Amino acid sequence: MVEKQEEAVGAIKFFLAGSCLVICSIVHGQTQDSLVRYKKKVLETVEVDMLMSYYEQEGKHAAVTGGLGNEQLTDYSPTIVVRIPISEDAVLTADVGLSAYTSASSSNGNPFNRSGASYVNGETPRGNVAASPPQGSPWYASTGASAKDVLTTLNINYQKASDDRNTYWGVNIGGSTEWDYESFSVGLSYAKLWNEKNTEFTLSTQLFFDRWKPVIPTELHEYELFDDSFLYNDDSYFSGVSVMDEQGNSVASYLPSNFTSYTATNRNSYAISLGITQIISPKLQGALFTDLVLQQGLLSNPLQRVYFQDRPNFFVGNYRTLGAYSDPANRDLFHLADDVERLPNQRFKLPLGARLNYYINEYFVLRSYMRIYQDNWGIRSTTFQFEIPYRVNISWKFTPIYRYYKQTASSHFAPYNRHLSTAAFYTSDYDLSGFDAHQWGISLAYRSVLRQLTLLDFGLKSAQIRAQNYQRSDGLQAFIVSTAFRFVLD
Amino acid sequence: MKKLNFITLLSVLALATSCMVVKEYNKVALNDEDMQLSAVDCERFETNFQIYREAAAGANGGKTGGGCGCN
Repeated sequence: MVEKQEEAVGAIKFFLAGSCLVICSIVHGQTQDSLVRYKKKVLETVEVDMLMSYYEQEGKHAAVTGGLGNEQLTDYSPTIVVRIPISEDAVLTADVGLSAYTSASSSNGNPFNRSGASYVNGETPRGNVAASPPQGSPWYASTGASAKDVLTTLNINYQKASDDRNTYWGVNIGGSTEWDYESFSVGLSYAKLWNEKNTEFTLSTQLFFDRWKPVIPTELHEYELFDDSFLYNDDSYFSGVSVMDEQGNSVASYLPSNFTSYTATNRNSYAISLGITQIISPKLQGALFTDLVLQQGLLSNPLQRVYFQDRPNFFVGNYRTLGAYSDPANRDLFHLADDVERLPNQRFKLPLGARLNYYINEYFVLRSYMRIYQDNWGIRSTTFQFEIPYRVNISWKFTPIYRYYKQTASSHFAPYNRHLSTAAFYTSDYDLSGFDAHQWGISLAYRSVLRQLTLLDFGLKSAQIRAQNYQRSDGLQAFIVSTAFRFVLD
Repeated sequence: MKKLNFITLLSVLALATSCMVVKEYNKVALNDEDMQLSAVDCERFETNFQIYREAAAGANGGKTGGGCGCN
């Protein structure tokens, strides 16, 4: 009897153990199925970002007029970014943008339009214009063809993640076009996470194949067309125009002989980017980035004038203004170019950047960024940026921002009328000069928790407005305000 | 500059060797959107104008080339 009971207990134990194994295997199998079935998507639904920025600047060192002149510029940049989940692992992103600008500086490729003498029915007249001589000024925006334009950009990016979300790879293709420039780019990216996603390594490469459609200053354009006879050829823009020397005498000796036509108009850029991010503590994480960039081809801007101090100066316009050429009140005198800027056809850039973010508490986060930079044109720079987002409540966030930037001058830079004609390379573009810059501003961000606001089938997820002031030590001042609205498909 | 490079190298070594492993359940603060180690959406426009107005570019997630104004 006892033996039968023990056998029964043994059978029950065996049954229970077997049942447990079966149940466990079923549960395990279901869990596996669930994991597969409910694998979290890289992107849950379609997202649309509607971005917009307005930028304006003022300065007194326009590169188009040789480092002296009005740098006024305004720019509107509407952009739409659409992210579409192709599968649980893959996302396709399309980024379409416009940049519509008006520029006093670049309009002065032909500075003489203002008088109307050179601008009849939208075309530059040729032949004798002595009856109505052209006037211009580096301080006044002409109505030249380059006064305004639209830059159009399109970028398509495809990114795929591994099942464990520890590996990502992507490919992108893009392009942009504006009146004197076209750009085409392709790129690849790879990211690997390990150490329980505490460490991430990224590697990407980007190739840009650009092409100038060179637009050169009017006086050099005519010299290119008519060679030494460009001041008196009947078909030249300067036929009948009085060209003055520094004493106000009408002369025919102006000859920008340093200028030579462009034979190669390509500009290619090759970039390899490396990055590593690391979680340091539950409240602190940082990242290091570097880009190895090589640029080759036409790296100078064909529209930017240069004046030589070892060559006589020649002007067109009102000789009474000769003593006050550099005064912004000058409205009717223009200095004819000796050449356009010439820069080496190769440039190697090496920036090294770092980000460090610290979660102070539920209200404050400290975001910091630092970069050092060096290139083979003699420029070194340092950048610091700090942001302290303050969470006002569950929906609103306010962020003060400060950025400091400092750079040394390129060895090819000299101010207006300070270059020597014997130099191989020269530019008076103050973007390549030595300066420091302060940028400060605020950001206001809104997060819609319940997505009450909708547009078609899309609900507003977040909105942000960001306004910044920028002040450069050479006098350039800028202001930018940008907005971003993110909608998600409900 | 040499001093700066040395400090950077030290930082890299410190990051690579002395970090604890933070578990997923302990990443609440790290998952805050402001803790992300990338620029915010609106910042792309600022990066764009900085590329035009400054000689330095790169190492910030922005463009490294392409475009006539990129010095």
